Amino acid sequence: MSPRPPAGRDWYKDAVFYEVHVKAFADGNGDGIGDFAGLTARLDYLKDLGVDCLWILPMYASPLRDDGYDIADFYGIHPAYGTVADFQKFLDEAHARGLRVIADLVMNHTSDAHPWFQASRTDPASPYADYYVWSDTDRRYQEARVIFVDTEKSNWTFDPVRKAYYWHRFFGHQPDLNYDNPAVRAAMLDVMRFWLDRGLDGFRCDAVPYLIERDGTNCENLPETHAVLREFRRVIDREYGGDRVLLAEANQWPEDVRQYFGDGDEFHMAFHFPLMPRIYMAVRLEERLPIVDILTHTPAIPPSAQWCLFLRNHDELTLEMVTNEERAFMYYAYAQDPEMKLNLGIRRRLAPLLDNDRRRIELLQSLLLTLPGSPIVYYGDEIGMGDNVHLGDRAGVRTPMQWSPDRNAGFSTADEHTLYLPVITDPVHGYQTVNVAAQSRTPSSLLNTMKRLIAARRSSPAFGRGTMEFLRPRNQRILAYLRQHGRDTLLVVNNLASSSQAVELDLRALAGCTPVEILGQTRFPPIRETPYVLSLGAHGYYWFSIERPDGANEPYGIERTAI
Amino acid sequence: MTDTTPALAPPPPELDRQLAALAPCEIVVGLPTYNNAATVPAIVAAVRAGLAAHFTGASAALVNVDAGSTDRTPELLAEAGMPCVLARHEAPSVERAAVPFHGVPGRDAALRSLFDVARRLQARVLVLLEADVTSVTEEWIERLVRAVWEAKADLVTPAYVRHRYEGTITNLLLAPLVRTLFGRRLRQPFGGTFAVSARLLSHALGHPVRPTTGRDLMDLWLTGTAIAEGFAVWEAWLGPRHVESRTRTTDLPTMLAQALGAVFAVMEQDDELWLGVAGSEPVSAVGDHAPPSATPATVSVDRMLGAFRRGLRDLIEIWELVLAPETLDGVLDLDARDVLAYRFPDRLWARVVFDFALGHRYGVVHREHLLRSLVPLYLGRTAAFVAATQASDGAETEAVLERVGAAFEAEKLYLTERWR
Repeated sequence: MSPRPPAGRDWYKDAVFYEVHVKAFADGNGDGIGDFAGLTARLDYLKDLGVDCLWILPMYASPLRDDGYDIADFYGIHPAYGTVADFQKFLDEAHARGLRVIADLVMNHTSDAHPWFQASRTDPASPYADYYVWSDTDRRYQEARVIFVDTEKSNWTFDPVRKAYYWHRFFGHQPDLNYDNPAVRAAMLDVMRFWLDRGLDGFRCDAVPYLIERDGTNCENLPETHAVLREFRRVIDREYGGDRVLLAEANQWPEDVRQYFGDGDEFHMAFHFPLMPRIYMAVRLEERLPIVDILTHTPAIPPSAQWCLFLRNHDELTLEMVTNEERAFMYYAYAQDPEMKLNLGIRRRLAPLLDNDRRRIELLQSLLLTLPGSPIVYYGDEIGMGDNVHLGDRAGVRTPMQWSPDRNAGFSTADEHTLYLPVITDPVHGYQTVNVAAQSRTPSSLLNTMKRLIAARRSSPAFGRGTMEFLRPRNQRILAYLRQHGRDTLLVVNNLASSSQAVELDLRALAGCTPVEILGQTRFPPIRETPYVLSLGAHGYYWFSIERPDGANEPYGIERTAI
Repeated sequence: MTDTTPALAPPPPELDRQLAALAPCEIVVGLPTYNNAATVPAIVAAVRAGLAAHFTGASAALVNVDAGSTDRTPELLAEAGMPCVLARHEAPSVERAAVPFHGVPGRDAALRSLFDVARRLQARVLVLLEADVTSVTEEWIERLVRAVWEAKADLVTPAYVRHRYEGTITNLLLAPLVRTLFGRRLRQPFGGTFAVSARLLSHALGHPVRPTTGRDLMDLWLTGTAIAEGFAVWEAWLGPRHVESRTRTTDLPTMLAQALGAVFAVMEQDDELWLGVAGSEPVSAVGDHAPPSATPATVSVDRMLGAFRRGLRDLIEIWELVLAPETLDGVLDLDARDVLAYRFPDRLWARVVFDFALGHRYGVVHREHLLRSLVPLYLGRTAAFVAATQASDGAETEAVLERVGAAFEAEKLYLTERWR
């Protein structure tokens, strides 16, 4: 195991994450499916992009009926992706480049093919008999909602072998583990130790609100679930020195997600699910209120905790955390073709969602990288990859990474018919035009812009750690905010409108200071007591660092006496 | 080398008359000025008190070389109650528009005329002061003059009591470099204040290699020549150094480029001074040695590291031309993302500076760009210094700085092997 990149315990607060599916990134052995060998060979690309930590989607042995979220062996790598040794090599190579890696871990359930489940259903005397939630009736926990409304009618499925119902919050082939059973908790901790011992930097924990069930509740976010999660955090902190990170997937309202941070003793990070659709809403409405509203109603979190922000991920753009009215608007605005809808969401990638409008894509990336939290970039979105809504379920946003205009987009040397999914070939987003090779050579490409934005984000810890203060100019199409950390102050101004806008900002508190635009290092006129006037082109954005006048804030504190 | 500075203006017609009225004069106090009306009266008062208290009966005069002040600085000096010679020199207009780091446009030319005047006055000691340093006391005069007066020293350079995060360019860059070049552990090679004996003055004025052009070379060349040719070099502990200036820049890249550029230029113009030197030794000192103070200071390690990271992003193409591959690898391996774990090894820093010296000599990049592109590296090194000494006292901080100097010495062969 190679040394892990040195950093403080709260490295995740400054990090830019990159979500990648092993099967989708690069095929090292030419069988049509991406693997760890391929991913390892592409690490330099990720280093060059400037991201800090990779989030690997489920890599474990699995029948792949839910793209790996149906784990059949927590200790094995899916054979199509390689071996544990291949994983280790990948991890070591990532660490050698200063990249960290966290991996998805499905805590809530297993595949029905998992030996634990097979033992549980066949032998009531086996030690695994109580590893799952069994019942003689399907009438219990009636208040729990069905999440996959398009495919599942009930959270219970009858097992003809054990002749009982088993509980599942997701697909019927994904029986929920019984976390009331101490043996299950111990077994899952052992699973985590196995990968942490190999140097893994943490886990993105899938579907954590559903670990424990209780009658008379909706079986989500229960205190008993939080107790289990705190126990896990305590053990991992104690045994691994406190710099391994736990990231919660809890698709819930902020006040419910807040509980997953505990008092800084549960998860380090959690996704901010409700913010994401509101970013799209704000841009389509050309009105800042949705973003200001959700962030204003986001509770404060412990000092060691951090939100994780994203624009898109491997799932549908989920609309669970919006009102019915808002959902109708989102469907109207972003999914006019019924094929684009899935469950309570929209199965499209970033670029097609935004009509491949470069200015809007950049604006959303600007928001992602400057709002409070650590951003996650979904693989391919840095080059504006497209999707294929006809591929079923969420496969359309999980197609092969587009590396070059060569065969199979440079993803694989296999016969194209053997690819796990076809590459995107439509005339707008197809790999012949949208690919890494072409964009690397074009200084103004989206890829190179992303690199610049990510690099600029490194210029100040205030991006990851700063406070958030919205400015409230009369022009509602402008979203402007101050981020402050220590002596660093950032001013971010975004034009949500598709037309040029002027705005008057009340910056009196910073009178005498000079905004310096970070990307171009351009000094703007100094701030005075009068309103600060800016004009922005359509979907334009500014990232300013605020330079204090001489004496008030010497940039380093050593200038006056350096010789 | 081409002459880019204007020739010295002819001495004002009355200069000869002024000198004739004063010569001979045992102690000459030189004061180059440029709009220092606010500070010179107090300096002259300290000079008068020092001479009266410690050198009673010695003949003394003030020699002012002014670079074109518009605030009556020379007039104030003439009225200061001391025998006074007023000279002027025409500083290059570019230096008046953007005043060099030490605050005096055309300082080299000012020093040349000052040396000339001191010799014509038959001075035993020339003391040079800075016109914007307000912490001068009568003890400064005593400590600077005494060793020369008693014929023990030919050059006395200053040592100041400073906060440990003052003088980071000097402590981390100039002093280790000059120590390694000349073999003497001087604390302030660009101290601005010094005393010279008549012997050294006369030697320097007649020296065939004496820089007659160039910028800010005289101080360092004089030091190097004095050491190389066996003159006795001492150090005087003067106390704190407070500067009250309207003209000095606080722009780090300018300071660093000018001061380090001067060292590199002297290295090139007169490499006989340093190529054969190995090791180093401390110099004799007058006054009480004091370690740097360790009171809390507002120094932003985060900002310095931010500048270093921006350098890594923006200047890598220049560094690839300047730094040797293994030096560049060492720099790229530094992980500046985490303050707690971040270190900048001393020997790597020495290699970086030597690679820049070599890059300057061989002109691999436009020299101004080269010098300025060192700034993020210097800030990265300074950030590591501050981070490493935050919990240290003055003595521990001195030990850390001593290790920097020792690392430069240990790498000197690397420099000399590539220089020839």
